[in-house]
Amino acid sequence: MSQQQGAPANANAGGGGPGYQTQPRMEMEYLCADCGAKNEIRARDPIRCRECGHRIFYKKRTKRMVQFEAR
Amino acid sequence: MVQQDEDTEWDQLNRTNWKGLGLTDPIKNIEDKWLLLPAFLKVKGLVKQHIDSFNYFVDTDIKNIVKANNKVTSDVDPRFWLKYTDINVGFPDRNEENAIDKRVTPNECRLRDITYSAPIVVTIQYTRGKNIVQRNVNIGRLPIMLRSSKCVLTGRSEDQLARMIECPLDPGGYFVVKGTEKVILVQEQLSKNRIIVETDNVKGIVQASCTSSTHGGLKSKTYVATKKGKIYLRHNSIHEDVPIVIALKALGIQSDKEILLLTAGNTDAYKNIFAANLEDAAKLGVFTRQQALEYIGTRVKVNRRVMGPRRPAWEEALEALATIVLAHVPVKGLDFRAKAIFVATMTRRVLMAMEDEKMVDDRDYVGNKRLELAGQLLALLFEDLFKTYNSNLKIAIDKVLKKPSRTSEFDAFNTMRMQGDHLTSGFVRAISTGNWSLKRFKMERAGVTHVLSRLSFIAALGMMTRISSQFEKTRKVSGPRALQPSQWGVLCPSDTPEGEACGLVKNLALMTHITTDVDEEPIIRLAFMLGVEDISLTTGTEIYGPHTFVVNVNGTIIGVTRHPSRFVTQFRKLRRARRFSEFISIYINNHQRAVHIASDGGRICRPAIIVENGRPRVHLEHIRLLKQGKATFEDFLQKGLVEYLDVNEENDTYIALYESDIVPNTTHLEIEPFTLLGAVAGLIPYPHHNQSPRNTYQCAMGKQAIGAIAYNQFNRIDTLLYLSVYPQQPMVKTKTIELVGYDKLPAGQNATVAVMSYSGYDIEDALILNKARFLILFAGAVADRANLTGKLRSWIWAVSSTAQKRNSCPKIPQRNVSRYFSPLSPLYPKNLTTLAISRFDRLADAPFDENGQIAKKYDIIQADGLAGVGERVDPGDVYVNKQSPSNATDNTFTGQAVSVPYKNTPLTYKSPVAGNIDKVLISDTDNDQTLIKVLIRQTRRPELGDKFSSRHGQKGVCGLIVNQEDLPFNDQGINPDTIMNPHGFPSRMTVGKMIELLAGKAGVLTGKLQYGTAFGGSKVEDMSRILVENGFSYAGKDMLTSGITGEPLEAYVYFGPIYYQVRVYLTEHMVMDKMHARARGPRATLTRQPTEGRSREGGLRLGEMERDCLIGYGATQLLLERLMISSDKFEVNACSECGLMGYNGWCTYCKSSKKMAQLTIPYAAKLLFQELMAMNVVPRLVLDDA
Repeated sequence: MSQQQGAPANANAGGGGPGYQTQPRMEMEYLCADCGAKNEIRARDPIRCRECGHRIFYKKRTKRMVQFEAR
Repeated sequence: MVQQDEDTEWDQLNRTNWKGLGLTDPIKNIEDKWLLLPAFLKVKGLVKQHIDSFNYFVDTDIKNIVKANNKVTSDVDPRFWLKYTDINVGFPDRNEENAIDKRVTPNECRLRDITYSAPIVVTIQYTRGKNIVQRNVNIGRLPIMLRSSKCVLTGRSEDQLARMIECPLDPGGYFVVKGTEKVILVQEQLSKNRIIVETDNVKGIVQASCTSSTHGGLKSKTYVATKKGKIYLRHNSIHEDVPIVIALKALGIQSDKEILLLTAGNTDAYKNIFAANLEDAAKLGVFTRQQALEYIGTRVKVNRRVMGPRRPAWEEALEALATIVLAHVPVKGLDFRAKAIFVATMTRRVLMAMEDEKMVDDRDYVGNKRLELAGQLLALLFEDLFKTYNSNLKIAIDKVLKKPSRTSEFDAFNTMRMQGDHLTSGFVRAISTGNWSLKRFKMERAGVTHVLSRLSFIAALGMMTRISSQFEKTRKVSGPRALQPSQWGVLCPSDTPEGEACGLVKNLALMTHITTDVDEEPIIRLAFMLGVEDISLTTGTEIYGPHTFVVNVNGTIIGVTRHPSRFVTQFRKLRRARRFSEFISIYINNHQRAVHIASDGGRICRPAIIVENGRPRVHLEHIRLLKQGKATFEDFLQKGLVEYLDVNEENDTYIALYESDIVPNTTHLEIEPFTLLGAVAGLIPYPHHNQSPRNTYQCAMGKQAIGAIAYNQFNRIDTLLYLSVYPQQPMVKTKTIELVGYDKLPAGQNATVAVMSYSGYDIEDALILNKARFLILFAGAVADRANLTGKLRSWIWAVSSTAQKRNSCPKIPQRNVSRYFSPLSPLYPKNLTTLAISRFDRLADAPFDENGQIAKKYDIIQADGLAGVGERVDPGDVYVNKQSPSNATDNTFTGQAVSVPYKNTPLTYKSPVAGNIDKVLISDTDNDQTLIKVLIRQTRRPELGDKFSSRHGQKGVCGLIVNQEDLPFNDQGINPDTIMNPHGFPSRMTVGKMIELLAGKAGVLTGKLQYGTAFGGSKVEDMSRILVENGFSYAGKDMLTSGITGEPLEAYVYFGPIYYQVRVYLTEHMVMDKMHARARGPRATLTRQPTEGRSREGGLRLGEMERDCLIGYGATQLLLERLMISSDKFEVNACSECGLMGYNGWCTYCKSSKKMAQLTIPYAAKLLFQELMAMNVVPRLVLDDA
């Protein structure tokens, strides 16, 4: 239980650190919850799928590696 | 069984009749009779009462309400009128223009925090100038009950539901309001419009009371009660109790002879009791109707709103008697006959109770109760809101019409559209807060709605069948809490909470149905057709004649009949022929000599098979058709094979439990005895073998089990979701389990249990778990948590808080601004962008620290300011990097947008256990607020201290987790998954659990599931046979070998699978969250003692009892240290002369420093002295050896 908190492992586990840089103005893509189409969200517009008009989006899965502790 | 049949076959052949059956009669098949139950549930369902009630409201009741309030007129222009001709509730849709797809699913509402509601459209006719116009207007939105006739889910197939992301097993019957699921619980009440006779033995009072309730009318209670041996009429609108004779005279029964006949009849005993009342009226000088009316008129409470001439007293009395007293009895014109007879009947009931004290009614009798459902509550709410809406509309129309000249012709349609969302917000507010405060109906009820518990599937289901009582919880009477014999088959005897609400909160049984209102007009006509004589044509002689029975419809007397049983039989025959609603009940009350017909809503009823001539009307043939799907439950009703019985009508029947119990005078046959239990109690295997409280405990615990919640569980983002990784359906199931779908959405696992002691870590119900099995397979519940961010008013892209220079704020959509300012307002900003931006939250990407690196806690934040999906969240991590304007409340701000200061208001992960981001949802709500929901998943394994329970109210904590190799094993090498201490059995007497083990073991060996259905299920004998056939002991005991010593155990061990459930263990109950200690730390300001509580890093108290111990032990130095030195020691200067405290070696009282001494006391003591002095009490210190 408490092993999940192993602090030192965390910093590298996410693959973060100095190598990771935010690209400014990177447009993010989101998936429509209904039809699965890729969409971008802009501040001016209401949140609505271009393809089907659905109002719910989900974020795409991260590109970074995720490691699980299998214990 | 086959042999038995053969033995008796010969005997049977020799008889012409066997239990009323001839030789050619079809063989009865008891086994398949229960198939009627799934057929019933298919049409009625477990929550059908909620849905039926809502449907009735939406389809019928709402129209009646509008019809009752259908006209709006104007005080200004008498020519103007507006009339509602029709009202319709549509299907749920998106409340927005230019939507591509107008349909909306409940799941979208849950995810987007919106209300699942449908428009209410009225058809209006009104005058526009000289024309009459007809139009349709949308007046508001009504939240729609899921699976009701207006819901998009109704009648959908399983794959259609899957496409809508909805669970086919979900019962429906609740609302989705602002994204939360709300249930309107069933409310239990005393029935309306019926006479209830009660006695108070202490005060010697007998009273008959009747609560009248009419549609749209006020509720009022009328009493006919004794006072010092005389009878009076009492009502809230009359100041004083009216002698009953005067009341009857005022109601038009003038002669004393007639009064005596109508009340006491020809019975001498009653006449004697009643005589005093007649004398009473004569003494008061009331002889005629006019005098009686004058008498009452002076005592009526007049609430006069309309100005006008004062009406004479008799007119007041007439109005009060016609409209307020017993309002449900109709008075047509000035014909008071029906009401007079009603009052006379009440009086007679009082006389009867005075004569024989057994003639009272039982308040707790289920037949005297009515259940109020969502539809009725919504109808009341709608009526109130609609009336307010109309009065607002009238005011608005008057306001326009008052203007002398108008630019265009007045069109009420426009005024109506400007009325706003009074109805919509009224519904949403009432359902989401649960406060039904309707001043108009003097109704003030809180806690009507509850959030649907989604801890487990059973919890949700159990909530839908729950009934809450209106009785106070504090009263010490046991009556309302006790088990009522009349609740057999309609209310579950096991499912009730323990403690405070015990017996007051009930649950419906499996086959229960609650009626809705049925029009009584045709029923009355039918009764007259069947030979009932009108009551207004009769006198007391006939009414109380030796062979006459009074006929009541919904509590109102309509007539008399001389052949009650013939009348009732004919009536029932017509009902079985479906000439009128199957829910209308009729029964004879022999004590009251009355026939009661009931068509009102809220009665509790259940179906039963009709038995005629000692033979059930349902035959094997019918069941075969049912099996083939060629017949439904409706067909059974239609053909008169099955009928609904309400609790009152049950008294007229003789119901056989089993077919073999049928005797010549049996009228009905029970469909299946296990339906007397509810849905939750139905999950218990072999409940009839358990001690009754164990079943009750299990009903409370079954709802807490972690398991599968619904088929759409992975698409839900609830604030708390508990799921199990590998749920299993139980080895020993019940028919109820299959019917409610618990085998499809189970909560628990089949664990091989060895009933033995092991290691001493199993005392007090603790369980030993097998590490190999439990830590891998029983793998724990997933605790999901959804976090709802504050609503983001606008969407600001990646503005790094450190890189403010490259901050370029995008423009805000204009419609957002106009939401806050009217375009006509002088405040409307010229520079839209500037002002708008400063009012909205924004999301920012991860900031850099001094080293140009992203801080650890922002590690998982991506460019849009939200955590990446799948990333691990450690305690303290930010997963939504929200920023809010720091001057959000400051309206005067007009500066440049760029310079608006923003402060960080991030969402940080607080749980001590790391989780993973499962989902990040982005959407917007009804009013264009951005909504972000983050689902974080935590995975837990069972650990020491986690709670487990079997299905027999036997809970225990995990006391020890043992390696597989250390556990005992049998000759096949099988280890137990759990070891349970045998001490759990003797005192609890849960024999059902033992049989479950036996049946489970037999099931495992044959690869079949066994049944533990109540009053049935797999027999122990058969199970033992299976065990023996498979080489096991018939008793279920195995020879085990110790895993530690390798020696055989000295006794045989009861060994086999039992279904175990993991109970919800909340994050708050985790050891990590509770751990706390302190050495030195913060102190309270007032007393300078250490603070209290873990949250304030407080100290651990050495309390009074601990102090007593130390005193007893004589540990003075320890006492001194704990209570003063380590707590609040304080140096004071005290004067040994005057005994008061000074400072700096100076006594302010003695004006000297001579006798000053320094001493250490607790600061709290010093504080006490000073507080006493402030209250004019002088505490003096007497110093011993200063």
